[in-house]
Amino acid sequence: MAGLELLSDQGYRLDGRKASELRKVQARMSVFAQADGSAYLEQGNTKALAVVYGPHETRGSRSKSLHDRAVINCQYSMATFSTAERKRRPHGDRKSSEMSLHLKQTFEAAVLTELYPRSQIDIYVKILQADGGNYSACVNAATLALVDAGIPMRDYVCACTAGFVEDTPLADLCHAEESGGGTSLALALLPRSGNIALLQMDARLHQDHLDPLIEAAMTACKGLSKVLDGVVRQHLEEVSVLTRD
Amino acid sequence: MDTIHACFKEKIGEVLLPGDVFSFSFPESGDGSIKTEKVICGPGLRRNGEEVQVCKSGILRHKQPNMYWIDSQQRRYVPAKGESVIGIVTAKSGDIFKVDVGGSEQASLSYLAFEGATKRNRPNVQVGDLVYGQFTIANKDMEPELVCIDSCGRANGMGVFGADGLLFKVSLGLVRRLLAPQSEIVKDLEKIFPFELVVGMNGRVWVKAKTVQQTLIVTNLLETCENMTSQQRQTLFKKVAEGSL
Repeated sequence: MAGLELLSDQGYRLDGRKASELRKVQARMSVFAQADGSAYLEQGNTKALAVVYGPHETRGSRSKSLHDRAVINCQYSMATFSTAERKRRPHGDRKSSEMSLHLKQTFEAAVLTELYPRSQIDIYVKILQADGGNYSACVNAATLALVDAGIPMRDYVCACTAGFVEDTPLADLCHAEESGGGTSLALALLPRSGNIALLQMDARLHQDHLDPLIEAAMTACKGLSKVLDGVVRQHLEEVSVLTRD
Repeated sequence: MDTIHACFKEKIGEVLLPGDVFSFSFPESGDGSIKTEKVICGPGLRRNGEEVQVCKSGILRHKQPNMYWIDSQQRRYVPAKGESVIGIVTAKSGDIFKVDVGGSEQASLSYLAFEGATKRNRPNVQVGDLVYGQFTIANKDMEPELVCIDSCGRANGMGVFGADGLLFKVSLGLVRRLLAPQSEIVKDLEKIFPFELVVGMNGRVWVKAKTVQQTLIVTNLLETCENMTSQQRQTLFKKVAEGSL
């Protein structure tokens, strides 16, 4: 795309944000009454819906259950209307399997699975509108859904993407910035301890730029954790005020 | 020195999340006379050395003179020893029944754990029946075990029940309010029409009234009680009592 600058001379990006600004995050918890926990999250134009069931008895084969901790089963899917072109995505295709595996890895690091041996926790995430940062929106929505289900976790899991243009790291990439061919780093972080749950990067990057890029992503995640914390506290207030006798 | 009470008092009615800590700074014992204060930590609060930690999310409540607890809204049940629950029989295997109690694992119920049951005289329990029993073993390392007799060998209201009637699920907070000794909700409901009610600590409630319509009315009233203040509840019950036949 000739002439499309990811970062203008005045320091503004394609959608008018500064380099380290995040997109607007809005979220709601308990959107489904039937599920144990559910949450809906919007990060800019990316919309994700997460539903959690469990911990419950291991369905299917007995051999899948672990004797000392719970098994986390994640499933990631995108709605057919989520991208610019309507595209039917069959279940179990390579991309969604890979994303499901990444989500499983992320939440195994955060959920206290030792408290529920021989059981299974199911996390289903669906992208309703994809505008970059699909993995991050999934992780943030699933964190809120797990909190809504009352499943004990070590910390919030916050995820954000970051990219690099010229010498400036950009935080929270949108679709146009991701598909431009530049570097895109996705980071899932446990904010209080600063431990990284998952780190993934596409395309090439000079070694000297790696540290500032990770720094930018970590700062963005810490900012996101404050937003998620505010959503949880507000939801608790709304629910608890009604039940005071 | 009312340091402990002062620390708690400023947070009464506020939303607290697991991980929040109350730390008390005791001044050096220069004068030698430290007034000992007694503070009772109820459910959701746990003492850890010199600190009190919050382990459930909810609102801090206070009862005179010195009791503090966390009022939490939870739907998921975790089996605990001594609690009476409603279970659904899912399988019969050899000498035990597998019972679904809504936790992370199914509980086992021996066929000898009924009143008057011997090896020759087996109890009449089929798959799909409802049982009301107590936990004898309930921790995360072992499979939970239920019994339908008390320590003297008598049924005491436990066992198979539910020939007709309707089983539904509510939150654990509502169940605790129903089981309280002078429960207002039950008293108000009794005035409308007579019905049978079994309440399990796992959030399951079974109702049976004279006609199907009355059963459904009681079910709907109990389900809506969750999100209503006592004023709204009393006006609703009054409306139903006048409107119903």
